[in-house]
Amino acid sequence: MSTSTTARSRTSRAASPGPGPSFFRVLNSEFIKFRTLLSTLILLACTAVVMVGFGALSAWGTGQFADAAASDPSAAEAMAAQGGDLAVTVPTSGIAFAQLILGSLGVLLMSSEFTTGMARSTFAAVPKRIPAFLAKLVVMMVSAFVLTAVSTYIAGLVSVPILDNYGPNLDLGSSQSVKLLLVNSVYVASVAAIGMALGTMVRNSAGGIMSLVGLFFVAPIAFQLIPGDFFVEARKYLPGNTINPLTAVEHVPDTLEAWQAGLVLGAWVVVPLVLAMILLKMRDV
Amino acid sequence: MIEAQGLTKVYGDKTAVGGVNFTVHAGRVTGFLGPNGAGKSTTMRMIMGLDTPTAGTVTVNGEPFARHSAPLREIGALLDAKAVHTGRSAYNHLLAMAATHSIPKKRVHEVIEMTGLGDVARKKVKGFSLGMGQRLGIAAALLGDPQTIILDEPVNGLDPEGVVWVRNLVRFLASEGRTVFLSSHLMSEMAVTADHLIVIGRGRIIADAPIKDIITGKGQSRTRVRTDQPDQLMNVLAGNGVSVEVQDHELLEVKGLDPRQIARAALDCRVMIYELTPLQASLEEAYMELTKDEVEYHSMITTGAPVPAQPGGN
Repeated sequence: MSTSTTARSRTSRAASPGPGPSFFRVLNSEFIKFRTLLSTLILLACTAVVMVGFGALSAWGTGQFADAAASDPSAAEAMAAQGGDLAVTVPTSGIAFAQLILGSLGVLLMSSEFTTGMARSTFAAVPKRIPAFLAKLVVMMVSAFVLTAVSTYIAGLVSVPILDNYGPNLDLGSSQSVKLLLVNSVYVASVAAIGMALGTMVRNSAGGIMSLVGLFFVAPIAFQLIPGDFFVEARKYLPGNTINPLTAVEHVPDTLEAWQAGLVLGAWVVVPLVLAMILLKMRDV
Repeated sequence: MIEAQGLTKVYGDKTAVGGVNFTVHAGRVTGFLGPNGAGKSTTMRMIMGLDTPTAGTVTVNGEPFARHSAPLREIGALLDAKAVHTGRSAYNHLLAMAATHSIPKKRVHEVIEMTGLGDVARKKVKGFSLGMGQRLGIAAALLGDPQTIILDEPVNGLDPEGVVWVRNLVRFLASEGRTVFLSSHLMSEMAVTADHLIVIGRGRIIADAPIKDIITGKGQSRTRVRTDQPDQLMNVLAGNGVSVEVQDHELLEVKGLDPRQIARAALDCRVMIYELTPLQASLEEAYMELTKDEVEYHSMITTGAPVPAQPGGN
């Protein structure tokens, strides 16, 4: 007890007390928090497994389809109707699940702060609150981007020999392959950011994840079922429907242009984040 | 030093803290005592900038908490033993907290040793007992070696050895010139730990005085008198602000006079007394006396259920 307390002079209180919570230090703290939770690491591992697993499955399926197309004209027609190169999308075929897992992780990172009471410790150390939120956002988005990019690449490496077996060629270095890898990684990082915003606003894990699932999985289906032009039009602007225009080789009629989709996704990230930060600053912890 | 001025917190139509003023000074242990729902924890959360006051201000060392350049080095708080993600180990929790202020790992190990968490520091907090959770909260509060320490119910769930440890720790911290602000529902514990007491009831400060003054306050000092002529002595003593209670055949309890005055009065009228014992009220009695009025007063003017006068773990 005495060693610690006499170690530092308590006499001059006018002097600066020592280093405070600079952004870099808060970032370091949030990174420690991120990597010291087993549940977080499990979700990250699940994402990698799902991405690589679906890549391999998709390679097998695409290969068989191509095989069939070689001997069956109707299958060849169907394949042509798909827009030609199917093999290039194989490495990112697990993206729908990656976005669900990492989006949920985004929700959990914030909601667990409130459900466990950790927020009181976090915001006592960083009373301005926003730096802690931004630091967590950086950690989450960078992790989601890197994990998606690396898993996509590994899924590609696994898929190449499987596809080779059947015929289709997958070039991981092609510009379309690189574009798909980067755009999908940015997209998953964006979903994770939306998840964090939802987790901050709802402060409840189940509620936050349900909101996320509702936005990305339920709304697109519901909008399709509801009759009326409004919903057909509005459906294009859902965040989950921005990924196809963003990764399309050519513009598909009746969808957003790539730049429009980029803006829409950006708005879906920025608006909830700003709302979340306003609420975080205003509300009691 | 902690200074609250007109500090108010209103939740909907319920006033949790109603314009309280108090100052917690350095170099002594200040106890914060009050019944359940009196506003103790709300006040402490406002000091830590976690809850925004509806009105009024509270400053720590002259500045609102959030304005300090290094908050954890100014003020350390145990507000709730559960202010930690239970999936993380105690060591990693403290490490993450320390990282925000570049507090070295050495200090993390120090506070773990100080609080006796050495054996469990690498285990998940999920499996911690309430007492271990309290120790972890105290470790977190001490991390930045702060000048001001706030502990909300620190002995809750601690074993007797832990209670003595907390008592010695806070007394030691205060002796170093630090400001120690401590809430507890154990009044006997307050009596031996705190130097100064702030009593809060229904969101208002009822008393703010050295603990000795509260225990031996006016109207609280009583003297037990035994005499073989109780009736005669009662007549002599009766007067302004003096109350005499017949306890037994030859036993009286006198309030409002000190033993010297009683002895003189007895001598003057030649009544023999054969016991004269000054009685000190316990903190419990003093506290009940203080909060009784507060609770009754509020029960009369509000339609809400009366609040029990028992101190609470809030």
